[in-house]
Amino acid sequence: MKIALLELRRRPGRFLMAAVIMTLIAILLMFLGGLLDGLIKSSTGAIRAQDGQALVYSQTSEASLLRSRIEPALRAAVEDVDGVERAGGLGVVQLGARVPGKGPRDLAGVALFGFEIPPKGVPDVPPRGTAYADETLKSDGVEQDMTLLLGPARSPIQIVGFVSDTSFSGQGSLWASPETWRQVLGANRPDARLAENVFQALVVQGDEDVASRIDPATDGRTDSYTIEGAVNAIPGVESQRNTFNQILGVTIAIALVVIALFFALITVERTALYGVLKALGGRSRTIFAGLVTQAVVVTLIAAAIAGSAVLVLDAVIPAGSIPLDISLGRIAISVVLLLAAAVVGCGFSLRRVLRVDPASAIGRGS
Amino acid sequence: MFLALREIGRAKARFGLLVSAIALLVFLILFQQSLQNGLLTSFTGAVKNQSAPVLVYSVDGQRVLQASVITPDLEQRVRSTEGVGEVGAIRQGTFTGAPLTESENFDTSVIGYDAGADGEGLGAPASLSEGRLPTRAFEGVASAADARNGYGVGDVVRIVPGDAEISIVGIAQEAQLNVGPTIFVSNETYLELVAAVNPDAGVPPPNVLGVAPAVGVTDAQVVEAINGQSLELDALTRSDAAAKTPGVAQVQQSFAIIFLLYALVVPCVTGLFFLIVTFQKAGALTLLRAIGASARSLVWSLLLQAVIILGAGLALGILLYLPVSQTRLGGLELQFEEGAVIGWSIALLALGLVSSLFAARRVLKIDPMEATTGRGVGQ
Amino acid sequence: MNALELTDVRKVYPVGDSEVVALDHASLTLGQNEILALVGPSGSGKTTLLSIAGGILSPSSGKVVVGGEDISDYSNGQLTRFRQEKVGFVFQSVNLVPFLTAAENLFVVDELGPRTGKPARATAGKLLDELGLAERTKNLPSQLSGGERQRVAIGRALMNDPDLVLFDEPTSALDTGLGAQVMELIRSEMKQRGISAIVVTHDPRITEYCDRTVQIVDGELSA
Repeated sequence: MKIALLELRRRPGRFLMAAVIMTLIAILLMFLGGLLDGLIKSSTGAIRAQDGQALVYSQTSEASLLRSRIEPALRAAVEDVDGVERAGGLGVVQLGARVPGKGPRDLAGVALFGFEIPPKGVPDVPPRGTAYADETLKSDGVEQDMTLLLGPARSPIQIVGFVSDTSFSGQGSLWASPETWRQVLGANRPDARLAENVFQALVVQGDEDVASRIDPATDGRTDSYTIEGAVNAIPGVESQRNTFNQILGVTIAIALVVIALFFALITVERTALYGVLKALGGRSRTIFAGLVTQAVVVTLIAAAIAGSAVLVLDAVIPAGSIPLDISLGRIAISVVLLLAAAVVGCGFSLRRVLRVDPASAIGRGS
Repeated sequence: MFLALREIGRAKARFGLLVSAIALLVFLILFQQSLQNGLLTSFTGAVKNQSAPVLVYSVDGQRVLQASVITPDLEQRVRSTEGVGEVGAIRQGTFTGAPLTESENFDTSVIGYDAGADGEGLGAPASLSEGRLPTRAFEGVASAADARNGYGVGDVVRIVPGDAEISIVGIAQEAQLNVGPTIFVSNETYLELVAAVNPDAGVPPPNVLGVAPAVGVTDAQVVEAINGQSLELDALTRSDAAAKTPGVAQVQQSFAIIFLLYALVVPCVTGLFFLIVTFQKAGALTLLRAIGASARSLVWSLLLQAVIILGAGLALGILLYLPVSQTRLGGLELQFEEGAVIGWSIALLALGLVSSLFAARRVLKIDPMEATTGRGVGQ
Repeated sequence: MNALELTDVRKVYPVGDSEVVALDHASLTLGQNEILALVGPSGSGKTTLLSIAGGILSPSSGKVVVGGEDISDYSNGQLTRFRQEKVGFVFQSVNLVPFLTAAENLFVVDELGPRTGKPARATAGKLLDELGLAERTKNLPSQLSGGERQRVAIGRALMNDPDLVLFDEPTSALDTGLGAQVMELIRSEMKQRGISAIVVTHDPRITEYCDRTVQIVDGELSA
C-alpha cells in the first residue's frame, strides 16, 4: 500500500492523464446528475411541497392540474371517504409577470397557485391580491413588497414573502388565496375560467393510505395519487429520470473501462517489478491492493477536482438559464459510483497480477 | 501494416478495452445527439413545420402558443400593419386524447387554424406525408411520430371529457408540440372541443396569429413592422419562434456542455493509450530502428493502429446506436442522425489522431544507437 | 545445522508433449557460513537450482531443506511466507524499485511481509550504514552508482536476517574492477554475519571469492 502511494507521489506524471480523463468523466457524471436533479426539482417542487397524504385530480386529467376539474359535488364525495380528515382545493394558472424595473417585453414566467391548505413552507393563506413567491423568482428581480402585474389583464399581485423549492413546470410559483387565483385566472384565461368553488385538484389530509381508497369511493370520477406518486406522474418526470439514469449508467461504464485499460497497461509495464516483489515474499493480494489503492486515490483526486469544478460551474451559470442543481448528495453519489467503477476496473488486472511468476525475477538481465 | 495488425492481434485484451471505451463514448455522444434533436423537434416541430411564415404572439405569452392570447384589439393592429398580407387565427390547447384503438390516454396538443374549403390555411401543417388536410368538422392531421399509437390515418381519437371525436385524415412529419401527440384541426372544430371539455369557458380568443407578408415584403420586414405597432405584440419568423421557445436554449446549452466533455474524453483516452503503449514497447521499437526500420514507417504503423482502433470504436459505437436510435423514449421519437454520425466520426477520428501524435513524437525521438546500450525511450 | 540440503532433487518442465529436465537428481549440501559458487553455461539449470533453493519453485521430486526447514512440499502460500522470513535475494539486474529511495528499497521487505514498522526502519538504517551508504539513504536508484545500487540490493537481501542469501550473477552488469569490489563486499558481509550464500555465475574469476565451486551442466552437478 505504502509503495503504491509513494509511487503516486514520486511519479505523479504517469497518473496525470488518467486523472484528467477521470476528472472529465466525473464532471460529466456530476453535471448530468445535477441537470437531472435540477430539471426534476424545477418541475416537481410545487407538488412535493403539498402538505397532505393524497392529491386528487379528476378522472381524465392525466395528472395535469390544468386539465383537472373538481366540482363541489365531487369534492363532497371525496370528503366523505373513510380516512379523509380534510380536503383543500388547489388550482394554478401560468402567466407572464411584469416585474417593476424590467423592460416592457421582459416578462417573468410565473405559476400562480390558489390553495386552501398551505403547502410546506407557506405560513398561511395570504390576503386577497397578495402572494408568497418562490425564491427562484428573485433571479427575475422579484423583491419583497413588490407588485407584479400578471398576464394580459395586468392583474396586480403584491409579494408578501418568499418560499423555497416550489417551482412548477420550470417556472417560479406564487402562492395566493383561492379567490385571488380564481380572479386572476378568469381575467387572463377566459377559456380556462372556473366557477366559484370549482378547483383543479384537492390536497387531502388523512391516514397514510387514504389515496388508495378515494378512487373506488368516487366510482372512478377521481384520479388520486400519494404526493410521491403525483410527483412521478407529472408528465415527463419518469422518462426524464430513466433517460438520464441510462446515460449516467453508460458514463459509469466508460469510467470503468478507462480505469481497467489504464491499470491493465500499467500492470503490463510493471510485470518485472511485480516478479521481484513476489520473489521477495510479496503476496499477490498485497500487490493488487496497491493497484486498487492507486485507482482509488486517482479517482478521489479526480472527483475532488470535478466536484469543485461543478460547484464553480453552478455558481457561474446564471440563475434561470440551465436548470442545474448541484447538491453534495449528488456529488457523493457520483464519487461512490466512480469508486466502485475504479475498483471493478482494477479487477481486470487481477488475473495478470496473479499470473506474475516470482521465478521471472531470477536469471534475467536488464 | 503488418506490424500494426500483428501487435493488435497479440494484445487483444488491451486493444479490446480501448475499442470498447471509444465505442461507449461514441454511442453516448450519438445517442444524446438524437435525444437533443428529438427533444427539440418534438418540442417545437409543430411551430417549425406549419405554414405561416410569421407568428405573432402576445408579449404575455412568452413565446408559448398556449400562454399567448391575442385580444381583438391586438388582432386589429396586426391586420392593419403595413406589409401584412394574409392573417389567420391559430389556437392551441392541451387535451386528454383517447385513441379508440388504444386503452391508454395521451396528453394531446390540438392546434386550430383558419382552414379553407381545401383545408389549407395559415398554421396548417406545411407538408403531409400521408392523407389530406381536414376539410370537414372533427377531422384532423396528426403528428407522424404518434401514428402507431392510434393517431394514424383512419383512426379516431376521442377527446375527454366531453367525448368529442376527431377522425385522423392526414399525417405530418416532425409536427409534434411539447413532446406528445399533436393534431391540427380547423378553428371551428377546436372551439367545439373547448366547449365540450369545459362548458364554463367562453369563446377563447386566438392564441397567436399566423401572418403571411404581402407581395414584395420579406418576413423580417413584417416582423419589424408588427413589433413596432405595440409593446404587447411579439412577432417572430417561423424558425425564430421555434428556436426561442422557452427551454430550447437551455436544452442546447446543456447538451453543448455535455458534448464538449464527452468529445474531450475520446482523444484523451486514445492519446494516453498510445503514449503508454509506445513507452512499453520502446525496447522493441529501438531494436526495429537498429535493424533498419525508418522512423517514418514506425510512425505510420502507430497512426495506422490509431485509425484502426478509432475506426473499430466508431463502427461498434454506431452499431450500438443503430437499434437505440429507432426507439421511443416516452413520447419522444428518436431518429438515426446521419449528419451527426458523419460529423462526429470525422471529428473524433481527427481528435484521436491528433492525440496519438504525442506518441508519434516519442517514436521519432528513438535513437537506434540505444539498442546497443539497452536503453529505449522509456528509460 | 546446514544452511541448505538438496537431496536427489529433480525439476522437469513440460514442453508441448515432451518434457525438459532442468535439474537431474541434484544433491548438494551447504554448510553454515559457507559461500558456494555455482558455475555453468547458459541453460545449464543454475537458475532452476537457485529458484528451488530460494523457495520460488517447488521441485518435481526430491527433498529441499533450508535452515532445517523442509520446504519440499510447501504450498505457494507457505513458500511466500518462507521467502519473507528465511532467504535473501540479490537479482541479476539489481532490480531496485525505481521510485523508492535506498532506505525505502530496504524497507519494502518489511512492507511486503511482517510489517513491523519502526524496528524495520532502524534495521534498514543500520544495514545501509554498515554498507557505507549512510549518506545515500534518501537517494533514488537513478542517483546511485552501479556499485552503490549493488550494495543497496545486498542490504535488501539482508533485511529479513536470512539463513541463506542467493546471488544471481551479481557482477554481470559490472566491469572487472567493480565486479571484484562487489565480490569482496559480498564475501566480507556474509562472513561477518555468518550467513551462507550461493553465488550463481558463469565468470570463473568470481570463484576465487567463494569457499567452494560446484559446476552444473545440463542439470547435473559436479564438484
